[in-house]
Amino acid sequence: MSNPITSIKLVLLGEAAVGKSSIVLRFVSNDFSENKEPTIGAAFLTQRVNINNNTIKFEIWDTAGQERFASLAPMYYRNAQAALVVYDITKPQSFIKARHWVKELHEQASKDIIIALVGNKVDIIENDESERKVAREEGERLAEEEGLIFFETSAKTAENVNDVFLNIGEKIPLKNDNSSPNDTTITEDQRINLAASANATSEASSCSC
Amino acid sequence: MSFFSSLREKTKILDRITESFTPSLTRDEKFKLQYKLPSEEAILDDANADISFISANNAVYDESKKQNGLKGEPVAYIFSGKLYLTSHYLVFKDAFDESSCVLILNISTIKRVERSPSASYSFALMVTLYSSSQLLIQFIGLRYKSEQFCELLKQKLRENIPNAKKLDKFLATCYSEFLISKNVLRRKDILAPRAGLGQHYKYPAHPEMAKEKAKLRLWFEYFKENGENLAIMKNPKFTKLVRIGVPSRMRGEIWELCSGALYLRYAFQGEYERILEENKGKTSQAIDEIEKDLKRSLPEYSAYQTEEGIQRLRNVLTAYSWKNPDVGYCQAMNIVCAALLIYMTEEQAFWCLSNLCDVYVPGYYSKTMYGTLLDQKVFEAFVEEKLPVLNDYIVKHDIQLSVVSLPWFLSLFYTSMPLEYAVRIMDIFFMNGAKTLFQVALAVLKLNADDILQADDDGMFIAIIKNYFRTLGESAHPDSPDIRYRQITKFQELLVTAFKEFSVITDSMIAQGRHRYQKGILENIETFVKKTQVRHMPKTFYLSTDDLSNLYDIYYDSIETHKISMGTGSSNMTFEVFVQFLGKFCDWCKPCQMDKDPAFKKQKEDFLRKIFNNWDSSSLGELTINDVVLGLEKLLTTDLLESMNYFFTLYDSDSDGELQREEVLEMSEGLILLTEPWRSGRLVDFLTKKSIEDDIAEKIVKENGDVIQSMEEIELPTGVVIEEEKYKSEQSERYLKAASSFLQRSFEYAKSLDLSEEVNLIDLSDNEDDSEAKESKRKKFQSLKHNAALDPTHSKVIDLATFRMIILADETYELFFAQTLRLSIHLNEGFATSSTNKVLKSMLDGIIADGKRVAEQVRRRVDSVATRGSVNSLDSGPQTLGGSITRSEDIDDFTSEHLEEHADLLQDSLLDIYDTSDHEGGQTSQQRKLETLKPRPVSEGNKKEDLIEFEA
Repeated sequence: MSNPITSIKLVLLGEAAVGKSSIVLRFVSNDFSENKEPTIGAAFLTQRVNINNNTIKFEIWDTAGQERFASLAPMYYRNAQAALVVYDITKPQSFIKARHWVKELHEQASKDIIIALVGNKVDIIENDESERKVAREEGERLAEEEGLIFFETSAKTAENVNDVFLNIGEKIPLKNDNSSPNDTTITEDQRINLAASANATSEASSCSC
Repeated sequence: MSFFSSLREKTKILDRITESFTPSLTRDEKFKLQYKLPSEEAILDDANADISFISANNAVYDESKKQNGLKGEPVAYIFSGKLYLTSHYLVFKDAFDESSCVLILNISTIKRVERSPSASYSFALMVTLYSSSQLLIQFIGLRYKSEQFCELLKQKLRENIPNAKKLDKFLATCYSEFLISKNVLRRKDILAPRAGLGQHYKYPAHPEMAKEKAKLRLWFEYFKENGENLAIMKNPKFTKLVRIGVPSRMRGEIWELCSGALYLRYAFQGEYERILEENKGKTSQAIDEIEKDLKRSLPEYSAYQTEEGIQRLRNVLTAYSWKNPDVGYCQAMNIVCAALLIYMTEEQAFWCLSNLCDVYVPGYYSKTMYGTLLDQKVFEAFVEEKLPVLNDYIVKHDIQLSVVSLPWFLSLFYTSMPLEYAVRIMDIFFMNGAKTLFQVALAVLKLNADDILQADDDGMFIAIIKNYFRTLGESAHPDSPDIRYRQITKFQELLVTAFKEFSVITDSMIAQGRHRYQKGILENIETFVKKTQVRHMPKTFYLSTDDLSNLYDIYYDSIETHKISMGTGSSNMTFEVFVQFLGKFCDWCKPCQMDKDPAFKKQKEDFLRKIFNNWDSSSLGELTINDVVLGLEKLLTTDLLESMNYFFTLYDSDSDGELQREEVLEMSEGLILLTEPWRSGRLVDFLTKKSIEDDIAEKIVKENGDVIQSMEEIELPTGVVIEEEKYKSEQSERYLKAASSFLQRSFEYAKSLDLSEEVNLIDLSDNEDDSEAKESKRKKFQSLKHNAALDPTHSKVIDLATFRMIILADETYELFFAQTLRLSIHLNEGFATSSTNKVLKSMLDGIIADGKRVAEQVRRRVDSVATRGSVNSLDSGPQTLGGSITRSEDIDDFTSEHLEEHADLLQDSLLDIYDTSDHEGGQTSQQRKLETLKPRPVSEGNKKEDLIEFEA
């Protein structure tokens, strides 16, 4: 019998055009497209991964980056267990915005939310280091101060993209194998409840075989 | 009251009642909105009339009608209704059924107007248009009214003559005109007018589905019968032609005709180019944001992979961002605009986008997107009402509807549906308005209800809808035995459901819904914006979170042009607003009687200007809220040295660390201005308060003398007479004295430009120097010396250390920087309620009422006068006494402060300066404070030494 599936609601935040959707596309479809349409409102995608023999289902909310969409964000990070705060290492402004998002998440999102700070577009500086405008150390410092996971990624070359998600997956408390299917990790969370009941039926069917 | 006036009153009341239920629009506003006319087109006059449109083209080419024995007279339907005249348009609508006939005619298309003989009507006009089509207007009603209407029409005709010259050029850009020319006038050589990107890059559509040629022919027939572009009669056939899908070549013009963008483009010819030209090379936040998205707008459409397509998109989006800076640019506009540009030229798309953003979906793309949020709320209410089962399910499963529906509305379905379907929705949207979005959205939910009722969460919900949109071209009934059913696509089914079943959703229902939820949505946005802004304010030490929150409120309350919830208007502060803003919570900036004195007013302005410029970090002549936060932080410092340093930098205009003579004079003026409320006795400072309290305590002790055994016995003498004027004048004198000694000391201790040093330097260096240089230096020195001799103050400067010494030499000014200034800034109070005219009287009342402190004084006096056995029991005394005296209802600025707290701060800063180690001991803090305050500098020289030590 396989272990139950743990669902993780994950939200992506960050300034416009830093590559949020591209990171998701890379993670979900291992694909990249140069000119992706901006996300209007939010997009929703899922991806399952196996970590240490446990299946984790990422429910990914990819949000719009433009400043004025910020008022919609709470709708998407509501109940999120994990967040990717993305900035573009060639755009200092996007790092300031990332700081703001981290602050907002700490104040407004669920208390134990796991946040990963992601500096994207490292492919740009591969040939020309002078394109870099946000030092790696700056990101590391912020991550340390705020207790965040930190990665520099490239959605284009796939560098570190999966690692971000896997790292988050490892930090999320897994559903206990021994617990009954209805026993959920966070009982007040409707979403988890639903997932649990769905698992219960699938397990039942697998047992009957 | 006459019968009529009472009737009028009654209708007014009725109007007011209905207004409170529905948003009120004036007749003109409704009219312009309905016929999509530019905002200038107010109704000048109206008349009842029967009209007939006699098409030149139809009369000429419809042979059958000629043979019907009507003597070649053209035949036409007669419509009865109302005719409206605006400054550029004649509008007619059928009185019985508006959908049966609406005529919108630009006056400049009229070639000739003549009276027409009419048997059955008292008065008739035959209007001949540029196209040779004719309009017969037969007036109904009083003749003089009809005459009046005609007079006005004549006047407008004359005024529109200059416009007629622009007509030919404009018509050459209309595809309808091209169709007529090519097919009616048989001009085979004529070229199609410039159009959208689709002209070269192909229009997105299934050729077999689009039936382009057949549809074009239908439109051609329609124009022949009913006129086109600037002079067109819209009847049910028009609606039908739009519904079956406008042919791609015709689409641009129909969109601009339906949206009214055509009228704007005609009225403001050249405006688009002018905006682009005027703002060439300029940058803005909107432009940066646009650049990011240019390559991300319908990237699959081939034209947007070319520089030509990108450039057109860039032009239109930037032009709009300049035209409406309140909106600027919002993501989703790029996609909508990219779609427009497939069918339209840049200029057409620009006006269409303008009307779309401003009239069709107001507030959708604003800085706070309030329109989007509002319409989501309205939509949710419709779902609850029209699809209750689905709604219950969604609520039960905690699925957020707006997660899927928000992008539909915001991007007008372009990001959800394949392009060829989205443009079909757009056809109807431009004709019928925003209700189209609601109707289609409801239909999508309804048609997918069975599947949605199986969905557990947002993810599945989204997947169902995604899949539905992807398969819109497939059969809606693939398993039906009837081939006709099988042929119906999901898209056709969607249109039928949307526009038949949900035709119950009307404009007024939407208007009512928006009205109902507007307040709540706007309030939510305001709360959100405030929370975010306060969160992102600079880190402050002296301003608490509450202070920042209050500051935010006062700040935006002052900028009246800025609407937080709508994100319109600049959120920056000009100098004029800044003065009002500070006046709301700074005692020394509040409007006062002295303001009437022009000299005082000028001084005040100069001083405030200094602060303003100092705070203006961007040097743009405007302050942001963060500038204000950082500025106030400096003023509110509890550190005496920081406070003095800051004041010094305000006057050190060249930041060389030294104040010139002029600057010193200015500074003394600034100080006089800043201390005006205390000088004039409007406010009392700590020293005055202290002396009042001392006097009262003294009195109590004197009167009761040795009788006081315990604090319980102390009673505040009722009706103590406070000599208000005495304290007032004492304080006033003190401030005047401080001001004069400031100036005096400034020049006494000002450092002379060190001439002797210069001499020494010369002496030292002149060993090797050639005599010429030596001579010139000597000369220079001589002249310097000479000047100094002439005007001893001229060459003197004050540096920071000297300034601080001078301030510290005066108790009043020292206290001012240590405490009084800071306490005169009231961010922690309800600014709206604080009265500006606080007089000393009320202050005194407050002091007396606050018996606790007076009791402390008494206790101390008792302690020191008679150190007797009963002292031990006094500890609990003050509280008891304080409790026995009720606080005054009118608690004033000063009494609401906790004196002890300030005393501590004061003490800290003072202790820093005076080395008062010998003051330590078992004394109470009150006493300590008193003593630190009391020693007045005996000799200025000593004081200076202390200071210098401290500085090191």
